[in-house]
Amino acid sequence: MSEPLSADGLKILVVEDETIISFLIEDMLQELGCAVVWHAGDVREALALLRDRRPDVAVLDVNLGRELAYPIAAQLDAARIPFIFATGYGRDGIPDEWASRPVIQKPFAIETLAAALDSVLRT
Amino acid sequence: MNQVVSSLSPALAEYANDASRVLDAPPRFLELLPIAIYACDADGRIRWFNRRAVTLWGRTPRVGDDEERFCGSYKLYHLSGHPMPHAETPMAHVLKTGTSVDGKEVTIERPDGSRATAMVHIDPIHDADGHLLGAVNCFHDITEVKRAEEKLRESERRFRGLLEALPAAIYTTDAAGRITFYNEAAAELWGHRPELGESEWCGSWRLYSPDGRPMPHDECPMAVALKENRSVRGEEAIAERPDGARVPFIPYPTPLRDATGMLVGAVNMLVDITDRKRAEERQKALLDELNHRVKNTLATVQSLASQTIRGADVPKGVREAFERRLLALSRTHDHLTRARWESADLEAILHDIFAPYQGDAGRNETEGRIRLEGEPVKLKPKPALTLAMVLHELATNAAKYGSLSASGGVLTVSWVVIDGEAGCGLRIEWQESGGPAVKQPQRRGFGSRLLERGITKELKGSAQISFDPAGVRCCMEMPV
Repeated sequence: MSEPLSADGLKILVVEDETIISFLIEDMLQELGCAVVWHAGDVREALALLRDRRPDVAVLDVNLGRELAYPIAAQLDAARIPFIFATGYGRDGIPDEWASRPVIQKPFAIETLAAALDSVLRT
Repeated sequence: MNQVVSSLSPALAEYANDASRVLDAPPRFLELLPIAIYACDADGRIRWFNRRAVTLWGRTPRVGDDEERFCGSYKLYHLSGHPMPHAETPMAHVLKTGTSVDGKEVTIERPDGSRATAMVHIDPIHDADGHLLGAVNCFHDITEVKRAEEKLRESERRFRGLLEALPAAIYTTDAAGRITFYNEAAAELWGHRPELGESEWCGSWRLYSPDGRPMPHDECPMAVALKENRSVRGEEAIAERPDGARVPFIPYPTPLRDATGMLVGAVNMLVDITDRKRAEERQKALLDELNHRVKNTLATVQSLASQTIRGADVPKGVREAFERRLLALSRTHDHLTRARWESADLEAILHDIFAPYQGDAGRNETEGRIRLEGEPVKLKPKPALTLAMVLHELATNAAKYGSLSASGGVLTVSWVVIDGEAGCGLRIEWQESGGPAVKQPQRRGFGSRLLERGITKELKGSAQISFDPAGVRCCMEMPV
């Protein structure tokens, strides 16, 4: 019942501090046809990665243990790289500044991830 | 009374065409008037007085005596309590300057020690050539009036002392909204002191709505109370102090009316809810943290299942079926989280369950096939979670084998809350039609077992499912 997806051949940055969950997101992205998935577990690692590489889109876990992912969001925004938030809080937990960005709530189905990626890649 | 008195002495002075006549012989009717009156010659010697003057003085002065000039009283005092020598009395002043004194207040002490407050009105008497001949003093006892005024002031002082002593911020305004009083607690809450009689509606430096938007003072709850002449309750606002600190508060503005019901002002009490807001924020942070952990744990379980199934020889639909069950549980958590784990809305739960079947763009023919009929019902966490899982299983079944598996099929979910003797009960009817002919299932699956034990045992309700060839029917009842 899934639609044809536009994730084919994309390079994607996944920022997720919990290893087992990061496996799930990576597997889903590969299933959707993404070419490369780069993983970062915290803000420092993600910002370092963004200095050398340019993903087509990013999936950001909001709560990264002791820190929040918003500095990464700001960096992506400055570089005009689209991104989506994946969080357990849902939209209510996102501050006003970022509230207009797509949010998917954990846990999510592959279709939900695909639809969110589709929406940011189309705009 | 005052007017009568003050118009009387000029009349008397006028009466003195033959001025010396007034000083020599007072009109007899003065004994009938309800005021005290006496006259002095230009040197201050008393020429005559009436009975009421004697009563007020508490003594009878000697007429024409050089020793007691200007006034017949024993002793005089200023209202401040300072002694007033006779040579400095209003009468002495009039005789010195030749001008009238109107409405001056003095305290008279009688020989017996008792005191009275009098208001005096003195006019000079001149002859035809303008020479000062003397003066007439009309005075009356205002002791009772003063006492009543003092009592009123005392009552006002006590009232203000009472308001000052209260730990709640309180202020009052007149009918036009100008601030007439505020207590210490109000000044503390505002962080500054408004100008009495100048500042309007609220003494705060700046005001904001709870959502952070600026609130003009003339639109604050107190202004609404005054403009609409009604008490305003259930509002919240935020006061900003000059130092930038913000204080959330609940106002209780109440109009004040006089005996005839006319609006004369309003009183407002401001309750500082900073502590409550802080506690709410702490609770929200805790709930957010809990939710974050629960969600991440569910996502971890989802990942573990996925890692386990990958590579194993498992039919393709298994992972999807598992994920859908997990996500149904998770989404019910979301509904409960939004309402602080107090309740979840039945229709919102149903919308989530049917979202995969209604929102699919390639399946326009399903529109209108799923009908939800019922009043809003709030479910407590336990029934919400169990019922959501049961409804999810029924929906999955309908999509696989039932009315949602073929075009033309219709699914109706209707519910009603029944007020019974044993409390409120929720009755839900699930009715499928227009799908393929229904066959009795070969074995009892997860859905049937959940329906049986979850609804009847866990929720103390009842459930019947019938696999009618025309469409599955399920009827559930449970207390809510």
